[in-house]
Amino acid sequence: MDKLKLEILTPNGVIYNDEALSVTLPGEEGEFGVLAGHSCLTTLLEAGVVDIEKEDKSVESILINWGVVQVDEEKVIVLVEGAVAIRGETESAVSKALENAKELIESIKDNNPAIAAATARLESAAQNLL
Amino acid sequence: MANLKDIQRQIKSVANTQKTTRAMKLVSTAKLKRAEELAKRSRLYAAKMNQVLAEIAGRIKCNKIGGLDNRCFLEIEDPKTVDIVFVTADKGLCGGFNIQTIKAVKELLAEYKAKNVKVRLRGIGKKGIEFFKYNEVELFDSVVNLSSKPDKDGSDSFIISSIEDFKDGKIDALHIVYNGYKNMITQELHVNKILPVDSTQFECEELEQSMLEIESDDEEKMLDSLVNRYVQYAMYYALIDSVAAEHSARMQAMDAATNNAKEMVRSLNVEFNKARQAAITTELIEIISGVESMK
Repeated sequence: MDKLKLEILTPNGVIYNDEALSVTLPGEEGEFGVLAGHSCLTTLLEAGVVDIEKEDKSVESILINWGVVQVDEEKVIVLVEGAVAIRGETESAVSKALENAKELIESIKDNNPAIAAATARLESAAQNLL
Repeated sequence: MANLKDIQRQIKSVANTQKTTRAMKLVSTAKLKRAEELAKRSRLYAAKMNQVLAEIAGRIKCNKIGGLDNRCFLEIEDPKTVDIVFVTADKGLCGGFNIQTIKAVKELLAEYKAKNVKVRLRGIGKKGIEFFKYNEVELFDSVVNLSSKPDKDGSDSFIISSIEDFKDGKIDALHIVYNGYKNMITQELHVNKILPVDSTQFECEELEQSMLEIESDDEEKMLDSLVNRYVQYAMYYALIDSVAAEHSARMQAMDAATNNAKEMVRSLNVEFNKARQAAITTELIEIISGVESMK
C-alpha cells in the first residue's frame, strides 16, 4: 500500500511529521479519510479526532479544536490551533493525555454537536489503548 | 579625601549590585533560549498559514467576478478610525527595548493625527501602558501579564475584538507594533499592518494547479475563518517574538551593567588604597614630628 506524508502543525510546533498509510479527518461537513494519491483538496476542520494509521498498522489519535487541511497527491498538511495526542505507554499516561484532551474540548466555547461527537470518539480511542 | 569606611561601604554595595546583575543576565540567557526555541518552532506554522491563505485568496481574486471583495482585503483610501496594538515588556531593566516601541507608536500616532484619523490605542505590557498613562494619552484598552507569559488563549481573546470591529466597519485598519528578536544582540522593531491584508501579494499562479478542490460557496466562509486565525496568529507571534527580544535586550543590558560594576569596583579599590596610604603617611608624620619636638 502506498504511503502518504503527513504533517500536523500547531502554533507551538510540529506534532507529527511522518509517513502514514491513511488519515481520517473531522471535516466541516463530516469525517473523511485520505489515502495516498487523494486528489487535491483544501478544507476546514472542526473540533474532533484525527486518526492516523501508521505504517505498522497501529492507529494514533490526536484531538484537535480547529484546523485547516491541505491535501495533495503525496502530502497532507494539517494546520491546527490546539492539539493533544492520545497516547502513552502506561495506563496513567493515557489517562493523563485524556484529561488534557478533555480540557481542550472544554476550552471550545461554542455549543456545537461536533464537540459531543469528539468527546465520544475520544473515550473510545482511549478504550482501545487500554 | 573620602573616608576609608565610606569607600569600603561603597565597594561592598557595588559588588552586591554586580552579583545581582550577573544573576539577572544568567536568568535572561536561560529564558531567551526557551523563547527563541518557541519562536522558531512557531515560524513553520506561520509559513504554512500564509501559504494557505494566499492560495485561497488568490483563487477568489482570480476566479470570482469582481475579484476579492472581502473587507479584510480591501485597502481603505481614507481611514476614519484605526487600531494600534503595541507590545512592550511588563518589566524594565532591559535597555532601550520598551522605549523603542513607544517611540514608534508615538510616530504612528502623530502620522495619523496629521491626517485627522481617530486612533484607538490598545496596549499590552505594563511599561508601555504606564508611559502613555503618564503622558495622558488615552488608551482604548490594555492588558498586563500577557507579554511576559504569552498564551494563545489570552492573545486570541484580546485581538478578537479588533478583528470583529474591523469586520463590522468600526475600524479601518489594524497595526501591531512590537520589538522583535533578530539575533542575540539585536532587536528589530516591527510596525506591521495586519488588517486589511495586503492582497497584492496574492498571485493567480495557483490556477495552474487547478486540481485544488474547494466548494465555491465554501471559499468565502473559509477565507473568513482563516483571516481570523491569521490575525490571531500574527498577534500571538508578535508576543512570543517580543518575549525573545525582551530577554535578549535584558541580557545585553545586564551584561553591560555587570561590566560597569566591575570597572567601578576597580576604581573604588584604587581610591581606597590611596586613602589608606594617605592615612598611614599622615600618622607617620604625626609620630615623627612628635618625636622631633621632644628632642
